[in-house]
Amino acid sequence: MNPPAELEVLHVLERMPPDASGALVRERADGTMAGALLVERGRVCWAMSERYPRRLTDILVAEQDSLTLHQINEVFAMCHRDHMPLGETLVARGLVSLPVLHRALLRHTCEALDWLVREDAPWSWIEHSGYGYHPMLTFSPAEVLAGVRALANPTLAARALTRLRGLVRDGQRGFAVERSSMSKVPLAQVGCEGVDLVALADLAVQAEEVMAVATTIDIEIALAELGGLACASWAEDNILFVLLCDGELAFNRLLAQVAAMKIFLP
Amino acid sequence: MTRLIEIADAVPDCVVAAWVDTRTGAVREQHVVHDASFVGPALEAATEVMRSRERPPRMVLLSARHVHMFHRMVSDPHRVLVVICERSANIGLAVALVRSFAEAEAAAA
Repeated sequence: MNPPAELEVLHVLERMPPDASGALVRERADGTMAGALLVERGRVCWAMSERYPRRLTDILVAEQDSLTLHQINEVFAMCHRDHMPLGETLVARGLVSLPVLHRALLRHTCEALDWLVREDAPWSWIEHSGYGYHPMLTFSPAEVLAGVRALANPTLAARALTRLRGLVRDGQRGFAVERSSMSKVPLAQVGCEGVDLVALADLAVQAEEVMAVATTIDIEIALAELGGLACASWAEDNILFVLLCDGELAFNRLLAQVAAMKIFLP
Repeated sequence: MTRLIEIADAVPDCVVAAWVDTRTGAVREQHVVHDASFVGPALEAATEVMRSRERPPRMVLLSARHVHMFHRMVSDPHRVLVVICERSANIGLAVALVRSFAEAEAAAA
C-alpha cells in the first residue's frame, strides 16, 4: 500500500463520529455503490468493497485447517435462510474459535477497506441505530489502521507484533511504526485500541525525532515522562517501537524494564 | 557551579553535570568528572533533543555504556540540566537523584 492510500484510511477513520453508529458509504457519480464501512458505537464492524474479490468464508477456510468449504457453505446457507449471524453460528457450532473468527473478520475488513479507499467517489455518513454486532467482533480504529498498514508489509508487521506481544505487560500499551515510512501509522499495536490515532502518530513523530538525534551518540533507548505517562522508544532495524506505561511509579517501572531489555540492533 | 559539583558527587559514576541553553546551544555551566571524548557531542545532542518545546520536560536516554538524564526547568524552559553517568545496575538511583536535584532547583528558582 502506498502512503497516500494509507493516509486515506486514517482520514476515513477520523471521519467516523465518536461513539456513533452508522455507515460511511462511498457512492460513484453514476449512482452505483462502491462500498461502505459499517460502524457501531465508534467501532468498525465490517467493510465492503465492490472490487474486493475475497469472501470471509475463503479467509476462514485459509485460517482454520479443520474447516472445509463444504461445512462453511452449509452453515452459510442456513444462516442466510434463518437470518442468523454467520460468525457467531460458526463459533457456537465449534467450527471456528473466537480468536480465529476475530482475526479473519479483521483481515477481511482491512483488505476490503484497502480497496475501498482507492475508489474515486465521495464519502457520506448514514446514521443507524446500531447493528447488534458482538463487541468482540468489532474493531477499534487503531486495530483497523494497523491491520491495513500491515497489508503493505506483512512480514515486518508480524515481526513487530510478535516483539510487542513479548514486551507489553499488564497495564501497558505499545505500538510499532516503520521508520522509512512517510506516515507514522502503526504497523502493529497492543493495547492501543482506545488511544486516539492522532495521539499515536504524534508520539511516533516525537520518538522518531528524538531517536534521529540520539543515535548520533549511540543512544539505544529514549524514555520520556509526559504528565503521568511514561514512554519508551527504540529502533530495531527499520521498526520504531514505542512502549507506554501509566499509573504509580510508571517512569521507574518502565525504566527498569527497558534497562534490562535486549535491543536487536541491525 | 557548587550545585553541579554536588549532583556530580552524589550520582554514582557521574561523567558530567551541566546546564545547557537550548535556545543558543551554549553550555552555561558544566562540571566534568571524567573528560571523555564523547562529552562535547553528548551535550550538543542533549541541546538538540530538548530544543523543541514540544519535548517532554524530563527524558532519560540509555546507550550501552551511559545514562543521559535531561530536565527542563519550568521557570526557564530554555535551561536544561544534563547529567551523564556510567551505565550500571544503579540506573534507578541515578535517575532519582537527578530528579530530586532538578526539583530542588525548580523550587529554589
